Formats: sequence, structure tokens, C-alpha cells
Amino acid sequence: MDSQTALQTAEKLLEPYGMEMIRQDDLRLDVLLSPDQLHEAVKALHDARWGYLSAIAGVDHPAPCEDAVASGGIDQEKKGQVEVLYVFCQGAAVLTLRVKVPYTRAELPTVCDVIPSATLYERELMEMFGVEIRGTPVKDRLLLPDEWPEGVYPLRKTTMIGTACSSSKDEV
Amino acid sequence: MEAQKSGEKFVVPIGPQHPALKEPGHFEFTVDGEIVTGASVRLGYVHRGIEKGTEDRTWTQNIYLLERICGICSHVHATAYVLGVEKLAGVSAPPRAQAIRTVTAELERIHSHLLWLGVAAHEGGFDTLFMYSWRDRETVMDLLELISGNRVHYSANVLGGVKFDLDVDKMDAIRRGLDFLEERTHHYMKVVTTDETFLARTRGVGLMTREQAETLGAVGPTARASGVQRDIRIDAPYAAYPDFPVQLITDSGGDLLARFVVRLKELFECYRVIRAILDQIPEGELTTRVPRRIPAGETISRVEAPRGELFYYIKSNGGEKPERIKVRTPSLCNWGTVVSVAVGHKLADMPMLLAGIDPCFSCNDRMVRVNRDQSSQLWSWEDLRQYGIKYYR
Amino acid sequence: MANLKLDSNWQRILEKIRTWARVNSPWAIHFNSGSCNGCDIEILATLTPRYDVERFGIKLQGSPRHADVLICTGPVTLQARDRLIRIYEQMPEPKFVIAVGSCGLSGGVFHGCYNVVGSIDEVLPVNVYVPGCPPRPEAIIYGVVQLLNSLKSGVPKVEAVTALAGKQEA
Repeated sequence: MDSQTALQTAEKLLEPYGMEMIRQDDLRLDVLLSPDQLHEAVKALHDARWGYLSAIAGVDHPAPCEDAVASGGIDQEKKGQVEVLYVFCQGAAVLTLRVKVPYTRAELPTVCDVIPSATLYERELMEMFGVEIRGTPVKDRLLLPDEWPEGVYPLRKTTMIGTACSSSKDEV
Repeated sequence: MEAQKSGEKFVVPIGPQHPALKEPGHFEFTVDGEIVTGASVRLGYVHRGIEKGTEDRTWTQNIYLLERICGICSHVHATAYVLGVEKLAGVSAPPRAQAIRTVTAELERIHSHLLWLGVAAHEGGFDTLFMYSWRDRETVMDLLELISGNRVHYSANVLGGVKFDLDVDKMDAIRRGLDFLEERTHHYMKVVTTDETFLARTRGVGLMTREQAETLGAVGPTARASGVQRDIRIDAPYAAYPDFPVQLITDSGGDLLARFVVRLKELFECYRVIRAILDQIPEGELTTRVPRRIPAGETISRVEAPRGELFYYIKSNGGEKPERIKVRTPSLCNWGTVVSVAVGHKLADMPMLLAGIDPCFSCNDRMVRVNRDQSSQLWSWEDLRQYGIKYYR
Repeated sequence: MANLKLDSNWQRILEKIRTWARVNSPWAIHFNSGSCNGCDIEILATLTPRYDVERFGIKLQGSPRHADVLICTGPVTLQARDRLIRIYEQMPEPKFVIAVGSCGLSGGVFHGCYNVVGSIDEVLPVNVYVPGCPPRPEAIIYGVVQLLNSLKSGVPKVEAVTALAGKQEA
């Protein structure tokens, strides 16, 4: 199946679910979904044997600076969002499912019941971005050490971290 | 971390460790007698916080950081990155630069596969094979040093092209080196496919069907050894691969032996492709200009590292530093396969099984937790390795 | 084609090692505290036929309890730090540490990253630093030679022990 046909097939498969479809270039299609549509969309791709899941990438969208400053930092917690990209590949064609969740309700359903190999990606997303994945089989930390404080998500922009051991060797 | 489901288990760290040491093992195996009934993985010993680090470095500085995600496949990381950034900038490196990138990438694949051959052999106790393959590997290390100035971290890439050229003398040296290595590879293929002790530890071991490989998300030679037809150089060719295509190498065996055979066959393909590029290397510039601020946008860059598909997601906000870089290494895909395939195998098979996916052997100090009946022991990797060797003696 | 010959400067250094090793055969243990593996593969390369460091009695083995020398790479990730200290504590006196690679010296390219401590000497007293990214096998062997030379001229053992005591967290 050549890339153009592949992407057209993907568009048709995801029509019932996608809020918006964007052709980024001739090899890339982005499909914006709401969190409730994610699981069904992934299942549709899987059942049609469209490509394979290549990666799950989190992208932080912190609250706009002006809002954050004006509200004394409180709005940061309310207005920030995490965008999660589920990237599927079929040959050279790249299909990205994009879901956004607000910090205040950072939850997504697992896709591990459909794609078991997603467990490591989901674990990484949880610890790095603080997105709760409901139903994921393993919730242990994958990369961060046990003593890493709860609630500190390294890849959120609001998390400013220096070297692990600065002047005070007692801090982590 | 322990399998809480099994109720009566409790943790008793035993072994050459301090009695009070609470240590997360890299791997945890639950065994019933000799057979593995459960396996899990915990990464993180090498977690440095690189993705966050990229947000604080310029586009050029990041080449040096990302190269050092892995010393064994540093060039493919840099290549995936610069190809992505060039796409965002709307430029294409000149053809000669792409050709040199590809030659370096294939030389890296050679060094990586030979390194792996030695390490995998060492895991099984075949130290002669380890010594021979690493001795021969010195040939390709010399070639990489000749063209780049360094044995490891050749740093060939700049944004927009490459740093060094290949003149006639260097190309001849490469050809001579490849001739030697090709002859040696024939010998290794013979050993791997005919030596009885070797076959006893690899044939039928770690069987993964094509369906399993696809469900479990395997990539690279590990997947191709189970018949999965996936190779980014062929599926989505980049750099010079559109002009100098490679052949797909697969095997239907799906076992450890197949994983050895696939990597050795890939070596022959490396030799062929490098020669083809050298014979017809395009003339021209080595670099093209890339702006300091990269236009805003997102891109996805996929390349075929020696271990499989390497995935980069790069987002620019129009500034001098990236907004976000996500790196998904091939080893991350393949860990999942080991954890599933391990079940049903003997504990003694674990070292070779793990070696079979060619993991980034981040520490030869990996700790393994072995849960048996009601006790839990902490073994060093060396313990596990020796256990496997003694079992098969 | 594989080149096993080394030049004459090297021959002299190798003679020195041979002499020393006949008297003291250092046993080394290698630990990766989170490096990219670049240094580790060059350390392993010293065992292979071209460099063959074992013929001089320098033996790389697996147990801290039998080791004189700890050869350490990497920028010390948080997970690796405790293990590194534990290994050092298990080594009998006299014991020495060789930090191999830029990461071990300063954190290297990872300086400032959130999961790394940085240089190995933030965690342990280091006797020899071998710079490079990675250092060549020859440079690593040279680092070991420097250590052996300094032992011949007498390194105060007490210094090594109190240095660690000073660095341990309260």
C-alpha cells in the first residue's frame, strides 16, 4: 500500500472519531481527538491492521505567561494542558492521533488492551507529564528513581530543575 | 515492584550486596523451579534527563548532547536529529553530505553488529568468539577514526551537512577494510550456524512468532528475525538510501539463532552498500546554510539504527532552542518482547535471550531479582550469566 | 589487516607496567554510573587482543570485595549513586578510583540535567581522571599506569579514607 492510499484509508477509518483532520505534508496526517474518542480510534486502526504504534509523545502546553503572572501563578495550574501524540506508522506514512488534557483533569484511557506493547510508553508519559492513564497494567515508575518526589513532572515546562546535586547534597 | 499478586512472597536480598540494601533490579524474574513464570523490567539507571536538557541548549549544541544518548549508535541519533531540523528549516543537505552520512551510518552499523556479536557470545560463555569479533571490530574503529578523528562519537553531522570529506585515499582504505571484514564475516556465519555448542544455546530458544513480534512492537533485527518486514531504510528511505537502496534481510526462524543470522547477513549488506556509494559518490558541497532560529513547526524523523527504528519528534517555536524533543529508542520497543518471551523459558536462557535483542547494555552491572517459591534473591548479572553457562555445560 | 603492533613509546610504557605488575597485580572492577557506554566499550576494548591489558596482570573482574581499583564511567545518575557508594564501601583498603571520561569529570554534556549528580568526585574520592569523550583505550591504560606509578612513590592511604568521610551526607 503506498503512502497516499494508506493515509486516505486512515482518514476514512477515523472519520467517525476525529474532531479535525490536518494533512501536515504529503506523508503526515494529524487527527485531533477528544480523550473519550481515543480508545475507539486506536481500536479502529488496530482492527484494520493499519500500521503500528511507533511512539507516544507528550507535549506540554503551559498556561500563557501573561495569565500566569497576572494570577500570581494560580492560573498556571488551572490553564495548562498536556497534549499527547500517538504516532502510528505504515511504511513512510505517519499518522498522529492528538489528544489534549487539562492539568486539572489529566486523564486518559489506556490503549494497552489493544496494543500491549504500549505499556512502557504509558509509564513514561505518566511519570514525565503527570497524566493518569486509567487501566494501564503497570504503574511502576519506568525511568525516574523511587525517591523522586511525587507530583514533580520533569517534562512540564513549569518544572524548573537544576543539577540533581547542587550545593546542598541532601536535596534530590 | 515485586509481583504483589502472589501473596506469600517476601523480599530477602541475598548475595554479594549489603544486607540492608534496597535495590530496584533492572529485571525481575519469578521462577517455578527452573522455569520463568513472570518477568518485568525497570529501566532508569541511565536516565539522565536528556529530553529536558535539549530545551535548554541551542539547536547546534543539541547535536552533541543527543549523540551521547548512546555511544554505540551515536551517529544515527545525530542523523535523525539533523534531518528533522533541516526539514523544519526547509533545507536539504547536499547529496555528497547525505552520501557521507550514509557511509558513516553503515560503518556504525558494522561496528555495532560486531560489538553485539562479541557481547552476545560472551553472555553465553563463548569468549573466543568475543575476542575475535572485537579484534576484527578494531578494523572498522580504525576506519571511523580515519574519516572522522574519533573512534566513538564521530560527530559527522552539522546542521545542513557534514564536517568531513572522503578523499580517494580514505575511500581506498575503507574498501580494503571492508574486504577484510567480509572474509571474517563469512567465518562467523559458519561458526554461528554449524558449531554444536553454540547451536545448543540458540536454536529454538527465545522463539517469537511473527504475530507476537508485531503485537509486542518489536523493531529492527529482532523483529526481522521473526519475519517482520520492517526496515526504515526501505520503508521510508532517508539520506542517501533513495539512491543507494538496501535489501531487506529477514529470517523465518524467530529464535535466537535467527537473530544472529539476520545481523550477520546485514553486515554483508552494509559492505555492499558502502562500496556502491563510494563507487558513485556525488560531487559537490558538504554543507548548506541553516538559520540560527529554526522556523516554528513540528516534524517527525525516523531512521534505522542498528537496533531498529529510532524515532524523533521535534517541535520548534521559532527560537534558538527547541520547544520539545522526544526520542524513542529502538531498545525501548524491544524490552517488551523480552518480558513476554521470557515466560516459559529456563532461567539459564535469560542472559542469551536478553542479549538477543541487542539492548543498550547500559551497565554490565545490571541487577536481577529472582523470585523463587517464597524467597527473593538479588543476583548480579555476572551471577546470572555464570548460571546459564554452568547449566549448559 | 587488524593492526596489533604498537609504537616504541608504547613499548617502553608497557615494559614498565609489566615490571610493576609482577610485584602488584591490581584487580579492577568496572562500574557504569549512567554513561552512554562510549567509555565502557573503550574500557572493554582494553581487554581485547590489540590492547590486551590483562597480560600485565590488570584483571577486570566482577566482585568489589576483591578489587583494588574501581574504574568508573558516567555522570552518576540518581539511581546509580547509592549503588556506586555501596560498591566503594565493599572494596577493601587500599582502594583507588579512576574516573574515565568527560562525564565522570564534570558531567560532560549532561551537566545540568535533572537526573545526574555530575562528576564522580561529588560522590567518591577520585585518584585519577582520564579525560576524553571517550578516551581511547591507550589513554585509559595510561591512566591506570599513572595510578600505578603514584602507588610506587607512595600515596597516603589515610587521605583516601578521610576524603570519603568528608563527602558523606550528614
